[in-house]
Amino acid sequence: MLDFHVLILNAPSATHIESHDTKMTCFDHRMLLILPSFFSISLAIGASVSLSLPHPLSCSHHPRPLLAISVMECNEGRHRILMVSDFFYPNFGGVENHIYLLSQCLLKLGHKVVVMTHAYANRSGVRYMTNGLKVYYVPWKPFLMQNTLPTFYGTLPIVRTILIREKISLVHGHQAFSTLCHEALMHARTMGYKVLFTDHSLYGFADVGSIHMNKILQFTLADVSQAICVSHTSKENTVLRSGLPPEKVFVIPNAVDTTMFKPAPERLSMDPIVIVVISRLVYRKGADLLVEVIPEVCHLYPNVRFIIGGDGPKRVRLEEMREKHSLQDRVDMLGAVPHAKVQSVLTSGHIFLNSSLTEAFCIAILEAASCGLLTVSTCVGGVPEVLPDDMIVLAKPDPSDMVHAINKAIRILPQIDPQEMHRRMKGMYSWHDVAKRTEIVYDRALGCSNQTLLERLPRYLTCGAWAGKLFCLVMIIDFILWRLLQLWQVECKRG
Amino acid sequence: MENSITRRTSTQRRWRKVAYGGMQPGFDDNHTDETFLEEMVMNANVVKRDMLKVMLDSVSISQYLCIVALVVLVWTYTLSSTITEKFLLVLDVTLLGSGFFVLLLTAKMLSFNLLLNYAIKISFFTTGLYVLSPIYHTLTRSISSDSILALTTSLVILHLFLHNYSGSTVKAPGALESPTLTSNISLNASIVASLLIASRLPSRLLVFGVILFSLQVFLFAPLVTYCLKKYSFRLHLWFSFVLMGTTLGCVYKLHKLLFVFLLGMLVFVNLVCPYWLIRIQEYKFEINGPWDEAKLCFNITD
Repeated sequence: MLDFHVLILNAPSATHIESHDTKMTCFDHRMLLILPSFFSISLAIGASVSLSLPHPLSCSHHPRPLLAISVMECNEGRHRILMVSDFFYPNFGGVENHIYLLSQCLLKLGHKVVVMTHAYANRSGVRYMTNGLKVYYVPWKPFLMQNTLPTFYGTLPIVRTILIREKISLVHGHQAFSTLCHEALMHARTMGYKVLFTDHSLYGFADVGSIHMNKILQFTLADVSQAICVSHTSKENTVLRSGLPPEKVFVIPNAVDTTMFKPAPERLSMDPIVIVVISRLVYRKGADLLVEVIPEVCHLYPNVRFIIGGDGPKRVRLEEMREKHSLQDRVDMLGAVPHAKVQSVLTSGHIFLNSSLTEAFCIAILEAASCGLLTVSTCVGGVPEVLPDDMIVLAKPDPSDMVHAINKAIRILPQIDPQEMHRRMKGMYSWHDVAKRTEIVYDRALGCSNQTLLERLPRYLTCGAWAGKLFCLVMIIDFILWRLLQLWQVECKRG
Repeated sequence: MENSITRRTSTQRRWRKVAYGGMQPGFDDNHTDETFLEEMVMNANVVKRDMLKVMLDSVSISQYLCIVALVVLVWTYTLSSTITEKFLLVLDVTLLGSGFFVLLLTAKMLSFNLLLNYAIKISFFTTGLYVLSPIYHTLTRSISSDSILALTTSLVILHLFLHNYSGSTVKAPGALESPTLTSNISLNASIVASLLIASRLPSRLLVFGVILFSLQVFLFAPLVTYCLKKYSFRLHLWFSFVLMGTTLGCVYKLHKLLFVFLLGMLVFVNLVCPYWLIRIQEYKFEINGPWDEAKLCFNITD
């Protein structure tokens, strides 16, 4: 019989993101079963059978009594939230940090949060993180860019099991690029739960990948209760892509953990001026702009040094640039910087340079500002909304304009006080504020009326002439499969 | 009106498009301002198309269709032994000569070096083909004719589908674009098709003749027509119409049904498709705005 084993992990402080495994790693390998992803449907059904508790609620035929009971059990509007995404710890990134920190703050507000994501390497099963955050690492291996294989209905059993077992009241999906998120939202909607979606990225409209992505997003957002975007530009983009009415979209920006990102206790000397770059070195993050800008700046200002942290396909070009212009002593390439060391790298500099070509909301800029660095960034996407004008110098994504902006930054650098900047950032951004605003959205979502399948289907028909009918068919089959699963599980209980 | 303005300014500040500072007082998080989507630009790069121009441009497509139809015609006649070796070799030499003549006439950058270069390359090419023709003669001996015909047909269709009708796969002197992947695939498909057909022929000289003819047409006809079009559009139109007339006449003599099919294709390409394209252009909806990924203004040189 398949079984999941629970590992309780210790974490030293509430704000520390990493959870450590206890010294039982060899024990873990024997304990955890690594399930192949090819026979995922049968295994998921088997897993859900083993996981389901002998609870009267799992035999319910209609979602309304379930929701009523769970709301009564939750006292004073405390919600039980399921966060779903393909992107979570042990990966580090914007979405991962957002889900983790938001969940921690919601736990502090008294809600119950459960996270569902796919298995990472041999990290599979149920784990507990700081403050009792329960994470389900569903035994599906990622197949492309950290996404699980989209099987449409394969995740239905496991999602149903988690929703019933944890008595969830609300499902919150993250990131349009995550297949697990779309599937889980679809199943949650079929089962009658209220559903929320947060979009973290900007997408175009013209290339083939974006067109397909937008269609899938239209499907998921056709029947979502509320949506959240991380910046106003992102809201405009999401509304255009999905056709949602703008009143349904809330703008709740990300925040930064100001207790972790503190400036250096003593102010650094102004000679040499250190410019820090920490990003993935890919085309999208403007690594090619760096290749053009760095030699120019080094030529104009003899007392400027660069520190480049991060790794990626464009690292080779940066190394070549370094060799070509003999900048080995003026440009340090640190390679991939682990998340815990980011603060120490940032505090060794005066200016933070961000050259991305597209950004919905740049958390890296917030981290840099929290450490007291003056930011120079390309004026793309949601970046102009992130910081007030005296903390950031914006430039067009053009090498000469960026050199001009760095020049301006160097000139106003003496007027910047890192401690003052950090203090202002503490007032401007806080994850507790984000959690409170998200709570308002949850209350609004739960206030939406329950609708049967027939009432929901017309919303899918508006997605397109052919797509609308296809989406309706997908939802009808999902509904039928859900009913079959309910019957099957009831029979198993009796047998 | 004044009462409402004073009331607004006294109770709430203006909404600002910023993300810092938490919830803006007096406004919900889902507040949609009047400035929502004001930076969106629609259909900025869309070109308004003119029906006549589109029809004239579609003449290049039908011209190439006719060229391919003529090649297939020559193959059919050679397979049924209507064309003799001598006729084929004379045809090859004539085509080569006329192609060179057209290039001489139209090329702006005339240089003796370039011509010598071309002549040397062509002679190497021809010698190589002559030497290799015994191999091609016995290439598909063990494969049935039906398979060969089916394969050839599908390769020719693939070639027509992926062909680059606007330029030339073989880089013309002075052309800016390099050939794309699909145009290379189409060229290869046509070469393979001509080799397959040539391998069905009885004698080696016929094999050499047919391969030389097909490769001349598939490799150099786009180049020649491209140079002709650049030189004078009227000449290009005149040439195309003469070619279409000749092709239709030859196909009519061969098979009436194929003639109807070819005529239908030409009408479809020249008349129906331009009208259709212009009809559906009005549905074009191009969206640009601050959310677009920035385009680099310089070329990335590795």
